[in-house]
Amino acid sequence: MTNDVIKEAVAKQQSGDRKLLADNTVLGKVMTFNIGDQVYGIEIQYVTEIIGVQPITKVPHVPDYIKGIINVRSKVVPVVDIRSRFGKPEIPYNSRTCIITLSFNETSIGIIVDSVADVEDIRTSDISATPENKGVNSNEFIQYMIRSEENTTKLILDVAKLLDEQEN
Amino acid sequence: MAKIEPGMESMLDMYFFETNSLLEQLDEILLRTEQANAFENDDIKEIFRIMHTIKGSSAMMGFDNLSVLAHKAEDMFFVIRENPDVITDVSFVYDLVFQVSDSYKAQIEAIQNNVGGEYELFDFSGLIDKLLKAKDKLSHEANGEAAPAGSASSDSGSAPASAAGDGKVSVRVFFEDGCQMENLRAFLLINTIRDECSFLEFFPADVETNTESSKEIVDHGFLITFSANDDKNYILKLIETALNVQSYEVLSDGEAAEEKTDDAPQAEIPPEPPVNLQVEKPVAPVKAAPQPAAPATQNDAAIEKAQAAVAAANQSNGSQKQSLISVNLAKLDALHDIVGEIITTESMVISNPDLEGLELESFSKAARDLKKLTGELQDTVMSIRMVPLSGVFQKMNRIVRDMRKKLGKDVEFVIEGEETEVDKSIVDNLQDPLMHLVRNCMDHGIEENVEDRIAAGKPAKGTLKLSAQNSSGEVIITVSDDGAGMDPEKLLAKARRQGILTKPESEYTEKEIQNLILLPGFSTNEQVTEFSGRGVGMDVVKANVEKCNGTITVESKKGEGTTFIIKIPLTLAIIDGMEITVGDIVFTVPISTIRESFKVETEQIVYDTGGNEMIMIRGVCYPILRLHEKFLIENEVKALEDGILLLVASDNKDICIFADKLIGEQQVVVKPFPKYLSRYNIKGEGLSGCTIMGDGSISLIIDTNNLVG
Repeated sequence: MTNDVIKEAVAKQQSGDRKLLADNTVLGKVMTFNIGDQVYGIEIQYVTEIIGVQPITKVPHVPDYIKGIINVRSKVVPVVDIRSRFGKPEIPYNSRTCIITLSFNETSIGIIVDSVADVEDIRTSDISATPENKGVNSNEFIQYMIRSEENTTKLILDVAKLLDEQEN
Repeated sequence: MAKIEPGMESMLDMYFFETNSLLEQLDEILLRTEQANAFENDDIKEIFRIMHTIKGSSAMMGFDNLSVLAHKAEDMFFVIRENPDVITDVSFVYDLVFQVSDSYKAQIEAIQNNVGGEYELFDFSGLIDKLLKAKDKLSHEANGEAAPAGSASSDSGSAPASAAGDGKVSVRVFFEDGCQMENLRAFLLINTIRDECSFLEFFPADVETNTESSKEIVDHGFLITFSANDDKNYILKLIETALNVQSYEVLSDGEAAEEKTDDAPQAEIPPEPPVNLQVEKPVAPVKAAPQPAAPATQNDAAIEKAQAAVAAANQSNGSQKQSLISVNLAKLDALHDIVGEIITTESMVISNPDLEGLELESFSKAARDLKKLTGELQDTVMSIRMVPLSGVFQKMNRIVRDMRKKLGKDVEFVIEGEETEVDKSIVDNLQDPLMHLVRNCMDHGIEENVEDRIAAGKPAKGTLKLSAQNSSGEVIITVSDDGAGMDPEKLLAKARRQGILTKPESEYTEKEIQNLILLPGFSTNEQVTEFSGRGVGMDVVKANVEKCNGTITVESKKGEGTTFIIKIPLTLAIIDGMEITVGDIVFTVPISTIRESFKVETEQIVYDTGGNEMIMIRGVCYPILRLHEKFLIENEVKALEDGILLLVASDNKDICIFADKLIGEQQVVVKPFPKYLSRYNIKGEGLSGCTIMGDGSISLIIDTNNLVG
């Protein structure tokens, strides 16, 4: 989703207008996954496929969070461990560990996540802006959040940033 | 700044392709005619047509500045077309048109680089002013010298006729191939423009009711004659942007100059009755068709004859078109990839471990047949991707022309073997290096003063030769001049100043000295000129050539000239590789770089003062590079005698690389590293790409040239 759509949705939330607050237009779908106890999401249009963990070929001279490259149906795709990327401790991969392959602007990567959760709708009424806490490393990759009925918060990743990050 | 209109993106590719090829065509005409120093009538018409097409398609895509520019250029050529004798200052016109062509290319490149985003909108007002002035000057001269423009040039088919000025415009519209129901589309088109016209006639006239008329429209186009209420250009624009209209041509635009013959009876006929136009048809679109004498006679037999001629010409045109198709490069790449996969899979099947030790006579035979077929398939796919070098070579023509003029050097440019075919990706990568080399030869190679040449016993006119040839799986491209050549002393002194010498001067051979100029930061020209001498260039050339797995060498003799030799392998993507393991990573070493592989005994190892390991083979000492140290891999084989050593060749020197184990030989398909990894310096560390092996795992390909940095 573009930032404008998100801004508009957030503005509706903050307007206090009951009619706008109740606007539950479906804006899109997210695929959610777990990292530890936290639920993250990725808008479905960026997801190419979900595969189990497979042997990863290490590539020398790249940052630690890039685990290497894998062969996804004859395409060579780099793999990033999201835990390590967000500065969380890595855990051994198990049968629930998945690689989600994403593509954006012809660049694709696979991300390693603890487990895949669900696919759900994004409604205008659920969207809220990210807290302005730039000190936290992982926050810069969060585009917005969605709240759901069970009062859990899901952090939606900014795929463009994740793929297009500059070395800093 | 501007953005491309949404909905137009899908047509952009076509636009770029079409416009770029038209511009190339334009350059080619200009270069050809400039040598003859005169425009032929056909050339003028061709340039006019090119400008006209570019104007139309640019306007359609919403690139207004380009459209206006082309329009002004078209205007100027309109004047020239009417009276080719008006050109008094030929070189002025050439420069102007070259400028137009360059401006176009620059703008299109800007747009192309920012598809989907904003692009810079260039301001062509200066150039447009110049064009306007040139046009005014030309038309002034035309009126002054040859009073009625018409009578001056009766030899051209475009001689203006008298029946004009009634404001009626005739247009022939062609619809897109295979869009179907052309008659209804024509009817819709008529409805679109009806309100804007005070007079409207069209042929075939029964498009609304008669579906048979579709065929007529497909074959001969749809003829519309109209008088506009106010602006005829508005109507033309309507026609141009109408749905499914592929192209249109204005047969007569109702103003002073109309395409008709000077035949007297013609003038008596009321202008543009539909039937009359039908007879005229062969004249305009199909040059090959015999010019029928029909327009005047107007009898049925003549019409039939003319139509037959058109049909015949169309048919021959048609069959020519069908034998060539343009294909999106991405599709060819995909095809190429699939062939790569097939070859990988084939070796997976044929050398499957399950088959080991089995006697399979008919399987082996089938396998051999399969191997032969996949080999042929690979060759065919490679040949599809082959394009002749002539496009790139012709561009050099242009560069030589510009520099010849600017530098005032008299140089003959010779092209040989431009029909040599290479892979499309190589052509794209070669353009920049060749441009650099040609510029270098023009700027530094050919002597400044003609006297120097004559004193050296050479003809006053310099020669710059660009040639290409195929030779055993390689394309060899040479750029050579018969200029001053390179002075080894000077080169060495220069290299010393730049601090790029790596061993004592006396140890450099002549060849090594010459190849110094390919190193980064080396530029022999004392002064920075417009064309070269910024200290970049030759190393960029080298990098570009190496991108296609090629090599470049220099041969030069002081006083006799310089030759650059580029060698590029024909097949890029498939190499024979040797698989080796280090820890749990598999590496592929291109077999072409391996000299030998062997086990060592501890006694053979020698150490230098720094404790570096080296090995003595047949009296030559080679340094040993441990791959596990180089690539920071955890492995168990640490002792040299437990692993394997490979003696590999690289540009600079041969080295021995140390790996755990040798697995075997395999033909592999080279894949580049994913884009996401391009920000890391993997290539600089000696890995050129990766490949998917028979079992689906990935192996990293070693680039021996970059292993030792």
